[in-house]
Amino acid sequence: MSGATQHLAAAPFARRSQLRRSWAQMRRNHIGFVVCALGPILALFVLIRIYPILETIRLSFYNYNITQRRNPFVGLSNYIRLFDDDPFRTALLNTIGFSVLSVIVTLALALTIAILLRSIEHTAATFELLFYIPVVIPWVPAAVIWKWIYDPAYGALNYVLSGFGVARLGWLQEPTLILYAIVLVSVWKLVGYFIVIYGVGLRSIPEELLEAASLDGATAWQKVVHIVLPLMRPIILFTVVTCTIICFNVFAPVYVLTASSQGAPAYDFKVVVGEIYQNGFVFYHMGYAGAQCVVVLLFVMSLLAVQFLAFREK
Amino acid sequence: MKRRAVLAGGAGLVLAGLGSARAAAPDPVSGKLSIWLGYGETAPAYRLAEPAFKQMYPNIQIELLSFDLHEYEAKLAVAVPTGNGPDILTLHDYIFPHYYDSDSLDTVPADLVADINNPKIVDPVFTRILTREGKPWGMPWWKGSRALFYNLDHFKEAGLAGPPKTMKEMWEFSEKLVKKAPDGTLTRAGITLRLTEGSGGLQKFSDMYYEMTGVQILETGPKPGTVRVTLKDNLDAAAQLLLDYVEHLHGPKKVDDWALKHDAQGFANGAASMLMREDWVVAFVRKNGPDIRFGTAPVPRGKAWGNFNFIEILSVNKDSKLKKPAWDLIRLLQEQKYLDNVLTESGWVPLRMDRDFSGFLSKNPEYKAFLEPIEGYVPWIEAPDTAYVEATSRTGDVILAAFRDASLLNNPDGARKVILKAQDVAVDILKNSDIYAP
Repeated sequence: MSGATQHLAAAPFARRSQLRRSWAQMRRNHIGFVVCALGPILALFVLIRIYPILETIRLSFYNYNITQRRNPFVGLSNYIRLFDDDPFRTALLNTIGFSVLSVIVTLALALTIAILLRSIEHTAATFELLFYIPVVIPWVPAAVIWKWIYDPAYGALNYVLSGFGVARLGWLQEPTLILYAIVLVSVWKLVGYFIVIYGVGLRSIPEELLEAASLDGATAWQKVVHIVLPLMRPIILFTVVTCTIICFNVFAPVYVLTASSQGAPAYDFKVVVGEIYQNGFVFYHMGYAGAQCVVVLLFVMSLLAVQFLAFREK
Repeated sequence: MKRRAVLAGGAGLVLAGLGSARAAAPDPVSGKLSIWLGYGETAPAYRLAEPAFKQMYPNIQIELLSFDLHEYEAKLAVAVPTGNGPDILTLHDYIFPHYYDSDSLDTVPADLVADINNPKIVDPVFTRILTREGKPWGMPWWKGSRALFYNLDHFKEAGLAGPPKTMKEMWEFSEKLVKKAPDGTLTRAGITLRLTEGSGGLQKFSDMYYEMTGVQILETGPKPGTVRVTLKDNLDAAAQLLLDYVEHLHGPKKVDDWALKHDAQGFANGAASMLMREDWVVAFVRKNGPDIRFGTAPVPRGKAWGNFNFIEILSVNKDSKLKKPAWDLIRLLQEQKYLDNVLTESGWVPLRMDRDFSGFLSKNPEYKAFLEPIEGYVPWIEAPDTAYVEATSRTGDVILAAFRDASLLNNPDGARKVILKAQDVAVDILKNSDIYAP
């Protein structure tokens, strides 16, 4: 074999060993490894999450209208305008009211059901599955079904209530009732998800603790208050945060339930995301809608910070 | 000599024939002619015209896409400024200014301009809407207009001989037509009023406001594209109209209720005796309430007498690569058979006054109030307004919230306050959009 041929044959081995050395070096160099492993994901995250947020913040300082060619910089005037915006204020108050009611009722109900299901452990999975069915139904068909249930003239709810002598109620037409009607739909849709989450949390509580409490003569209520709830604190924090975010972003059910082009008209129940949608995609005031997004983002972030503080481990 | 002349003549004829054959030869231009529709029910007319269009342009495909109206408006608003819009823009009068102002429209060919400017072909009320600096920017195609629908059986049952002729009669008749259950809840509305959805609610309120005052709530300003708000100028009339609504939604004279089925659906299932709506309701009631016997009549008169109209305008996108074929298709769509198709398939009334729809009317007498010209009955159209949706939605929110306020019963001061608030809301929006005319 000539020297040149020997050199050619040795080349793949040399490349392989070089690769091996690089890999070992990269493993040693932890930061490099992390960057390579997470880099693509982070890049994607920046592209589809961070960039839109930054772009929304930028737009909020412009009078940006998608149908206009001139979109001047307006500084803080979009934010100043928000103070006088009655529909936005109404939407914010409605959303807060809806979120508070929904989060409390959903989570309290989910925790209660999850605890009760622990007493029938052998059939709990079946019930969890049944409660979970609404979770997998998309919001729009679910809202359409509820729209029929709430129909004042032909709806099942009024029909059932009429059996108890309750007069016809406009569930989606009366401003005083619509909040509760939407909360009910939301609770029905979300409770199954949180039952499953709480179920997992409850199963992770050591059985010995509960048995020891029973031997010490603790009542069921005392066990819940002094053992279950403290141990469930991280899971409760997770559910409160998740549920608050879901509820604050409510839009589809309200939009479908209150759509009033024909038939039974509903009360125009304004919610924050609906207002943002209307300003951005109906009135084309993208800059103003951007300012509303930023305010809502800050509001929800502060709310979550308060929740983290309230539920933190002492 | 004679033979030579005959031969020459024959040759001339052959040449002429060749020439004309060359003139009528299909255009080799190729591509896809894109048309988006917010009113998908007019699509059959385009499909019907397709074979004739194909003879002119065998290599051009017509691509028709239909959307929900609001979705269509949003898609168009985003696509056209970026050069990705359809070739033919089907614009409604209220969104037309967006596209004129953004310089997105192609110049209308001279023959179509002549038609548009001919008052025997197109009513000048409609021509004015799409004309800027003396030039029209699209071909008005069909119109929707409002009339009063009334249930013949309900009228007979209430002993009413015919539809109301005045606004006062309209309220009185509605009180006679209403039906209540023993517990007092309404089971049938005397008239189904538009009580929700700001923009639509304000439109219907505005119909009656026009009859009471002779002007619209949002009127065209002195400068094209500007808008003025007339509520403050007609404060007493506007407040009185609001009081009429409140009086008929609360208290002993109540004729409608939020919990009833409303609008065309309410009328089609017999839950309402009267309704003010556009032409499409005829087909809707026939389909959804086949047992309902109904008639249509002009909108009842007040101080003024007229009816709301809106039109669809066919314009060509300035960025289109198929401008000539697009205009040729628009030209084709002016022919009687395609206009007949629009009328029969969608119920919208073609705008051309030089076409004959009497055959259709004799078979479909319910269209009487929409097709027959009536002496002294003025068609009016809303002011073109780039902030139209926002202004009507937000102003409508104020008025519609007041409908629910029973404390306004016999409360003229309260009603005036509401009207002034509505005026302020509209003015603010118009000012923010730089189109306010004091």
